Amino acid sequence: MENTIVNEPYVVELPPGAPPMVVPPDNPLTVASVTLGKALFFDRRLSRDGTVSCASCHFPERAFSDTMARSLGVEGRIGMRNSPPLTNLAWHPSFFRDGGVPTLEQQVIAPIHDPLEMDHDIQVAASFLADEEPYAELSELAYGRRLDAWVLSRAIAAYERTLVSGWSRFDRFQQGELAAMSAQEQQGWALFASPEVNCIACHSGFDLSDHSFQNIGQYTAYSDPGRERISLEPGDHGKFKVPTLRNVALTAPYMHDGAMGTLEEVVDHFASGGSPHPNKSPLLQGFTVTNEERAALVAFLHALTDERSIDRLP
Amino acid sequence: MKQRSRSLLLVLLTLGVGLSACKKDPAVEPNPVTPQAPTGVVKLTVVPEWEGAPMQRFTEYRNFMDYRVNVELLKLYLGEVRLANGGVEKALSDVLYFDLGDGPVSQTWRLDTGTWSGMKAGLGVPSLLNYADPAGYGPGHPLNVSNGTYWTWATGYRFVMFEGRYDPDPLSTASLINSYSLHPGRDTCYTAVELFPIGGIQVRQGDTAFVTVRLAVDEFFHSSDGEIDLLTENTAHATNVPLALKLMDNVVRSISVD
Repeated sequence: MENTIVNEPYVVELPPGAPPMVVPPDNPLTVASVTLGKALFFDRRLSRDGTVSCASCHFPERAFSDTMARSLGVEGRIGMRNSPPLTNLAWHPSFFRDGGVPTLEQQVIAPIHDPLEMDHDIQVAASFLADEEPYAELSELAYGRRLDAWVLSRAIAAYERTLVSGWSRFDRFQQGELAAMSAQEQQGWALFASPEVNCIACHSGFDLSDHSFQNIGQYTAYSDPGRERISLEPGDHGKFKVPTLRNVALTAPYMHDGAMGTLEEVVDHFASGGSPHPNKSPLLQGFTVTNEERAALVAFLHALTDERSIDRLP
Repeated sequence: MKQRSRSLLLVLLTLGVGLSACKKDPAVEPNPVTPQAPTGVVKLTVVPEWEGAPMQRFTEYRNFMDYRVNVELLKLYLGEVRLANGGVEKALSDVLYFDLGDGPVSQTWRLDTGTWSGMKAGLGVPSLLNYADPAGYGPGHPLNVSNGTYWTWATGYRFVMFEGRYDPDPLSTASLINSYSLHPGRDTCYTAVELFPIGGIQVRQGDTAFVTVRLAVDEFFHSSDGEIDLLTENTAHATNVPLALKLMDNVVRSISVD
């Protein structure tokens, strides 16, 4: 391979209003580390039979989410939950829909080992690729060592940290460019933030999520324990991490199990107040909207789509 | 000033010659040897057994409820392994991994000679190690992810992995189909164990002290304190903490040391 990559710092362009990005000291963002991570992200050989890459369930054109309710792993095995979008992960305090993993680096291991996803061994996968270019050179450049499980998990995490969302028409509107959103979208935004509809109670801040865990009354009986699987607290049964709404128009189907196919369905669910459940968030009181208001809410959600590519790496 | 410098030089030279003359001939000087403490070896062996005989994977056994059962996988961790004698302790290993599917597994240490009452440890992985990033542990390390003991979707390791199949019908001759999978983990399951052989552990110079830990696997299903009915208690995978704790307790109670 022609040596064109140098290990200079990789500067992530942050959108206006984004908090400073905190990067772990043992995994600095460099051109080499994120380039290595991107190459690995798209490499199907991270799966046992060479059929599934990270990108197989996280499509770049879908804000790195999947179009299926539950993604397919090796041999067509159906995954446990809907694949979430991968944007603004640098600001997430925990990962997976139940928040079971505390760092982006540790998160990388799970899909590779999950029998329903890649069903492989991160160490075996790394050692298989270690002598191959560009991996061998990039690994040395980025981390000063041969590609192994440690390098692989860090490199993919580094690449994922660069996937920043914050360039939507809503962002331009927020920065004072009032014409960036149509009147209908502005009406939807007003409803979204109103005390009656109150989506903003959880979908707030730069990532349009407070990253808390909420039971939204999707079911009266959940087959997936959600956050309870991690905390072992019955009060967390059926709670899942509040997802970002950035690029939400691209990330259907919705909810932890991909049970809702359209934004209209989602709005209707919240308007209904959800199904009764002992852990249902008290914030879900239901609301009444006209068809016109419902359309305005959905239009606003469409205004949250980034106007530029999330992946800035060539 | 010049005279004083000459005098000082003379004194230093004289002193130097004097010191040099006082130095003994290195050829006759006994070599300075750091005394080596006498050492011996301690060998810990964990032996899985079924009713006193070596346990064989995939062999059909009967458990205390007369269920037909087999064992397909048995792995466990011992944490904070140390020698103990009264209030004195000597650390041996932070964590040890035993894959007992193919029979006994041993671990050895070379140690200074001495007498110890036995070993103390925890069944499981100590909290500090349990939540560290597993990608940092290379091949051969007890906590390496390739061992298949790490809960990737939540931080932490399965302290014991006990898996197999069962059939509650003792008269059936059909293949065992129903599976059980008991995986205790998390800090609440970390359980102290004492491995005190009769007569203690004598570490003698040039000798090996054997410590054999026998696990009565048939007793994993029952102890005086807790019975596990596989018909209703066949899965503990992070959830079902009461069952996980019951298994941990039964494993500890099943241990004998010689």
